[in-house]
Amino acid sequence: MTIAPIQLDTYKLGFIGAGKMAESIARGVVQSGVLHPSRISTAHSNPVRRSAFESFGVKVFSQNQQVVEDSDVVIFSVKPQVVKDVVLQLQPLLSKKKLLVSVAAGVKLKDLQTWAGSERFVRVMPNTPAAVGEAATVMSLGGAATEADGELISKLFGSVGKIWKADEKLFDAITGLSGSGPAYVYIAIEALADGGVAAGLPRELALGLASQTVLGAASMVCQSGKHPGQLKDEVASPGGTTIAGIHELEKDGFRGLLINAVVAAAKRSREFSN
Amino acid sequence: MTTAPIQLDTYKLGFIGAGKMAESIARGIVQSGVLHPSRISTAHSNPVRRSAFESFGVKVFPQNEQVVEDSDVVIFSVKPQVVKDVVLQLQPLLSKKKLLVSVAAGVKLKDLQTWAGSERFIRVMPNTPAAVGEAATVMSLGGAATEADGELISKLFGSVGKIWKADEKLFDAITGLSGSGPAYIYIAIEALADGGVAAGLPRELALGLASQTVLGAASMVCQSGKHPGQLKDEVASPGGTTIAGIHELEKDGFRGLLMNAVVAAAKRSREFSK
Repeated sequence: MTIAPIQLDTYKLGFIGAGKMAESIARGVVQSGVLHPSRISTAHSNPVRRSAFESFGVKVFSQNQQVVEDSDVVIFSVKPQVVKDVVLQLQPLLSKKKLLVSVAAGVKLKDLQTWAGSERFVRVMPNTPAAVGEAATVMSLGGAATEADGELISKLFGSVGKIWKADEKLFDAITGLSGSGPAYVYIAIEALADGGVAAGLPRELALGLASQTVLGAASMVCQSGKHPGQLKDEVASPGGTTIAGIHELEKDGFRGLLINAVVAAAKRSREFSN
Repeated sequence: MTTAPIQLDTYKLGFIGAGKMAESIARGIVQSGVLHPSRISTAHSNPVRRSAFESFGVKVFPQNEQVVEDSDVVIFSVKPQVVKDVVLQLQPLLSKKKLLVSVAAGVKLKDLQTWAGSERFIRVMPNTPAAVGEAATVMSLGGAATEADGELISKLFGSVGKIWKADEKLFDAITGLSGSGPAYIYIAIEALADGGVAAGLPRELALGLASQTVLGAASMVCQSGKHPGQLKDEVASPGGTTIAGIHELEKDGFRGLLMNAVVAAAKRSREFSK
């Protein structure tokens, strides 16, 4: 049985769960011109959430059922604890003509597909910087999701950052790295600012320089196509200030602490799955 | 004696030293529309460097003297070891009608002003991510540089990233943080990728996620206006994967290592100044 492709020019997108992640994705999709807001809908009873979406042209229904009926692509963006009940409740309306997507952390395709009675599911793991259009996102295609379905999802999530495709069995490791990673960077930025203050800078300048320096360095890695080790070599001049700083990091195992963090977070994610 | 203001609509900009930093700044200025390339010049004998600049419309003279004569604002972007000789050689042409700028790391305003015979100097400390338009830059005004001169320089360097103003006595600390800081982040990105590989990810995916995650987190700090500690609190849910990762960093003094790096690099910078 051939799966009917989603019509790219006319498909409608619905969000089940009108929280921060849904808002970030919807805003990104509209701002980048991928979809006109009239093609997007969600549902919420809370007037604050309603107006958050209505303010940029998204339609807000009263009930999730109306969103599903109106949509060809349905993104489940409710909290992981409630996604099972929500999908089961909507199951009668989830025909195989619809492409279903879940962004619920830790919820497996096998279960989503059972609850929905449909294997045309794509599991997507974005991270919180979707809010500023710089997410690191990974997707995994379910049993009946097509290549074209994957490209459609790629385009949607590409409007809030970068997206990769991977086997679902890698999702615990991905959680440990891109899911939890932003927190490690927030700590690093605060510590760099503290270092600046220790060296004599006023706090506001130290924090501004710290965050912009991390942003710039990450941009260099993302855009230059060079290995980070090579970029490091290029800026560490003989006997200079940079290699003096690097020496402090290396002698006390800075790299190992970050490896430990990713591994521990991935391990905790696996424990949740069991 | 009033210092004649630089005419914003018509001033010409010249680079003494046509290396990578000059190229990054010139490209940023042109791409952002701050100046038309016909208002920018430099000098170099090497045909590769000539064509690098000519390729985006910048004029390339054979001699530095011609650049100075043609320019109202002159940026000295030669290596620190040669800036003294270069400024002394051009001194007869450096009238007080010209605004002089140095980006030479570790070279003080007092010395620049003596060599130039002019106090209308601004010392600027950018960092290497100027190459991708995300520099963290700090400037310090010399004895006869006006507020308007400072705003002009702000606008030029604002086209390649963010810029702050600070007292020159803070420049060693700034070197330790934003000058050398990118290297600490290159190491962090490589370590995060290694963590991903340790947790089971293929290298290419791990490195892509690591760099995008750092970019996204830094963007969140820069754009949200929230304290990094607050951003960390918001993503560390009870008993979750993120706090498990954070615990690994905190128990082994991750923050302290970054402070050590900034302080050591600042100390090395001070040693150079003596």
